[in-house]
Amino acid sequence: MRPLDENETTVVFEKLFKFIGNNLKNLVENPSHEGPDPESGRYCFRLQKNRVYYVSESLVKRATNIARKNLVSLGTCIGKYTHAGSFHLTIMSLNLLAANAKHKVWLKPTSEMSFLYGNHVLKGGLGRITDSIVPGDGVVVFSMTDVPLGFGIAAKSTQDCRKLDPNNIVVLHQADIGEYLRDEDEL
Amino acid sequence: MGKSRRKQKTIPPPQLPPDVPEEDIEFSDEDLKFVEENTDYARFVTRIDTGAINRQCSLKPKTVEDKYQEERSKKKAQQEGKGNNEIQVDPVDVLPVKTLDGKLHYRTVLKTSKLADGDTEELEKDAFEDENTLNKSQRRAKAKKSKKEAKKQEKEFPEEIVQEEETPQAAVLAEVKEELSAEETFENKKNKLAELGMQLLSDPEANIKSLKEMLEISKDENTKIVKLGLLSVLAVFKDIIPGYRIRLPTEKELEMKVSKEVKKTRFYESTLLKAYKAYLQKLVVLEKQSVYNQVATRCLCTLLDAVPHFNYRDNLLISVVRNISSPDEVVRRLCCSTIRSLFSNEGKHGGELTVQAVRLIADQVKSQNCQLHPNSIEVFMSIRFDEDIGKRDREDENKKYRKNNKRNKQEEQNQVQENERKKSKREMMSKIRDEVAADYKGVTYEPDAMERRKMQIETLSAVFETYFRILRNTMYSIGESTEADTATNPGAFGSHPLLAPCLDGLAKFTQQLDLDYIGDLMNYLKKLASSSSVSNNSKQKNSKLLTVSERLRCCLVAFKVMRSNLNALNVDLQDFFVQLYNLLLEYRPGRDSGEVLAESLKIMLCDDRHQDMQKTAAFVKRLATFALCFGCAESMSALVTVKNLLQRNVKCRNLLENDAGGGSVSGSIAKYQPYATDPNLSGALATVLWELNLLTKHYHPAISTMASTISGMNTSQNQTFLSAVTPQQAFADYSLAKESFEPKNESRKLNNKLKRESCGDETKNVPEVDMVVLNKKLRESFTILRDIEEDERVRMEKKKLLKKQINVVKKKLKNPKYKKKN
Repeated sequence: MRPLDENETTVVFEKLFKFIGNNLKNLVENPSHEGPDPESGRYCFRLQKNRVYYVSESLVKRATNIARKNLVSLGTCIGKYTHAGSFHLTIMSLNLLAANAKHKVWLKPTSEMSFLYGNHVLKGGLGRITDSIVPGDGVVVFSMTDVPLGFGIAAKSTQDCRKLDPNNIVVLHQADIGEYLRDEDEL
Repeated sequence: MGKSRRKQKTIPPPQLPPDVPEEDIEFSDEDLKFVEENTDYARFVTRIDTGAINRQCSLKPKTVEDKYQEERSKKKAQQEGKGNNEIQVDPVDVLPVKTLDGKLHYRTVLKTSKLADGDTEELEKDAFEDENTLNKSQRRAKAKKSKKEAKKQEKEFPEEIVQEEETPQAAVLAEVKEELSAEETFENKKNKLAELGMQLLSDPEANIKSLKEMLEISKDENTKIVKLGLLSVLAVFKDIIPGYRIRLPTEKELEMKVSKEVKKTRFYESTLLKAYKAYLQKLVVLEKQSVYNQVATRCLCTLLDAVPHFNYRDNLLISVVRNISSPDEVVRRLCCSTIRSLFSNEGKHGGELTVQAVRLIADQVKSQNCQLHPNSIEVFMSIRFDEDIGKRDREDENKKYRKNNKRNKQEEQNQVQENERKKSKREMMSKIRDEVAADYKGVTYEPDAMERRKMQIETLSAVFETYFRILRNTMYSIGESTEADTATNPGAFGSHPLLAPCLDGLAKFTQQLDLDYIGDLMNYLKKLASSSSVSNNSKQKNSKLLTVSERLRCCLVAFKVMRSNLNALNVDLQDFFVQLYNLLLEYRPGRDSGEVLAESLKIMLCDDRHQDMQKTAAFVKRLATFALCFGCAESMSALVTVKNLLQRNVKCRNLLENDAGGGSVSGSIAKYQPYATDPNLSGALATVLWELNLLTKHYHPAISTMASTISGMNTSQNQTFLSAVTPQQAFADYSLAKESFEPKNESRKLNNKLKRESCGDETKNVPEVDMVVLNKKLRESFTILRDIEEDERVRMEKKKLLKKQINVVKKKLKNPKYKKKN
């Protein structure tokens, strides 16, 4: 386990910024009430075996006691580095993203299942959408009951969405909670 | 002479001397001498009326015609001598007056061309310049006409007098004027106006000339007369003006030979039009003078309201719109109500005036740089648009497209499918239908559907242009003020006078707005709503920035726009929720409008169908805190909203449980941040509504009951009844104006704690305050207070005096010591 170096930090933050925007500082400065210390520590990012984890400092302190090859995971895994060297956010970061998301999309009940199978979001399945979405923004997908279902990249702006045909793609799928069942081994 | 006359009646007259011609008469010398000696006494000879003697001797009885002839000749002589156009009053009616010079003054009456009124001699009028431009022939024609109408013979005489004794110039008789007092003239003028008016109303075609007279009267110097004149002419015009637009005959038509009827109508119409034009010009001129401002505007407005189809309506409209923002409230209200009625009664003028009026108002907004009174834009709310202006275009296009496709397809696929007879029958039916429609259109006065749509589209674009201009202007003024220091002063109507009605209008007309512009509109609204009143460097309050109520209005309008365009897309307006969340903290009851706040609470929170848990909880918590800080009305509206939110979102009810940290439902944020700006990140699910406990001890029984009801809501899902009260209603009910509740006396509190808890049921039956007793009590307490104060004051003065005395004594003591030493 090691902390991220500069390049890696910038890459991770850039990806996160697409989804949560200025709330990034909330993520970093979030006081953590875990652990026996009376003072609240912070959260930090650590890299272990090509995976980036979001951990509270008290936990990190204790995790240094475990040998590298024995440490499987700690805190919340946000994403991983591919062989080529690019960083991808995985579904396990959904909780973090959902809490701080700037751009949200709510799905109608009929199209929830379609999204959970890995398909893209169509206009006809769109229940609600946040204002001021720009193409290329990170969008978190919710159900109508405010359960986070996954996230993706916006294909059209909100303004354009008003005039679309019901069969056009609005959000490109990146990760959904169905992956816990489908891609169990890879996680 | 008298004797001989009497004798003539009974006794046949003696024979006259033979008629000797004058040349043969010879005067004797004695006679001549006698005459030369007594020339003084012979003066009477010159004065002998030989004609009268002849007449008497000739025994002819004096007929009426002869008498009349005498009088006429006398008067002619007199008139030519004096040179005026006054009729002399018959000495039988009014005795002549002898001046100090010895001159005899017969009462004179001004010659007027008024007919059908037989009492010209009795009316005494002041002489004013009578610039009668009617020539003789017209007057004679008029006299002839009036003769036919007036069948009384006595009236013939003054009319004939009028006809033939005309002099072009009028000269004022100073003595006559002095005799009549000012009040009498006023009364007389009023009467004359009334009579002229009645004439015109009874038979407009015959008496159309009287219009010009009435206009003349209104050129008087006395302001009251002018005002009365204007108003009476207005009343006449309202009734006379026909229901069609007068078109003056062209030269060709004038040359044609036409029947008498047509000539009569033409004459009538042209006179009417000329008089109308003169009247309008006068009104426009008078309107600029402050004395006549109100009257003139009232006339203009009434005319525009009553006859918007007639000629010169454009000029009328221009002058009315010019006054739509005048600082004088009466004028402004008149103009606004006129324009509003114009918009609602489109049938009268066929819709064209709507377009023009809107255009003019838009231009005025542009030229005045949006510094007008809000009423001027509020009139737009009365405009009504057809529901489907834009849709019809699209539908037509779609239909055409589809039709073309269908036709092609049909031609390609089924060429001989339909029976020939069926096709031709259908074509016949459609042809007949078209013909019927065309005939119907030709007969009705309704504007063509296409035309109407065109006009409505134009109106709509002008209205929206104005609204967007106002919005942009507000944006710029805010943007500029943050950079430069207070360079420009706010206008007479405040810094953003037009913003509120503009936003209201936008909320009403959003359905007509094209989807392209909704995005821009939302952006503008977002920027306006987020403009805060605290800039970074300057400490002074910048008056150009938006107030809390204006920002609340922006949020409100954004939601209304979104709701009305739901079929396009359901957009979640997160930014506006953030704004509302922060505005709740900035609200101040005296300065900001509580009704706007209540309305925004209702529309943004209570009516919203989908709620984010974290956000809802944040609002609930903040509203509860809000309810602690302000008076009854705001607290009540906040509590109603809280109740509504809690009833609809079951998960939020864990705020009512004493579960610090939120337990399992708290979400990711573990601790509540009370000053967070974003409701989503406030972590309110982790908090508890302790404020309700405090609110149950509120002095107002209604609030305390409400608070206890809310605390009593449990977290099970079977709460089905929803409260029917909206926050707006609650605000209105409990505002201070309607405050009829009397707080209980201090002494009773200690004794009857139980009673207090049940007094919540009695909120409807509030005891009436006995004003007399109250006054007495207040007076007593105040007198006591005042006495105490006076007491204190007197004591302080006494102390001072004492001190002074002590000082004086001390000095005295010191002095004798010195003296003694010395």
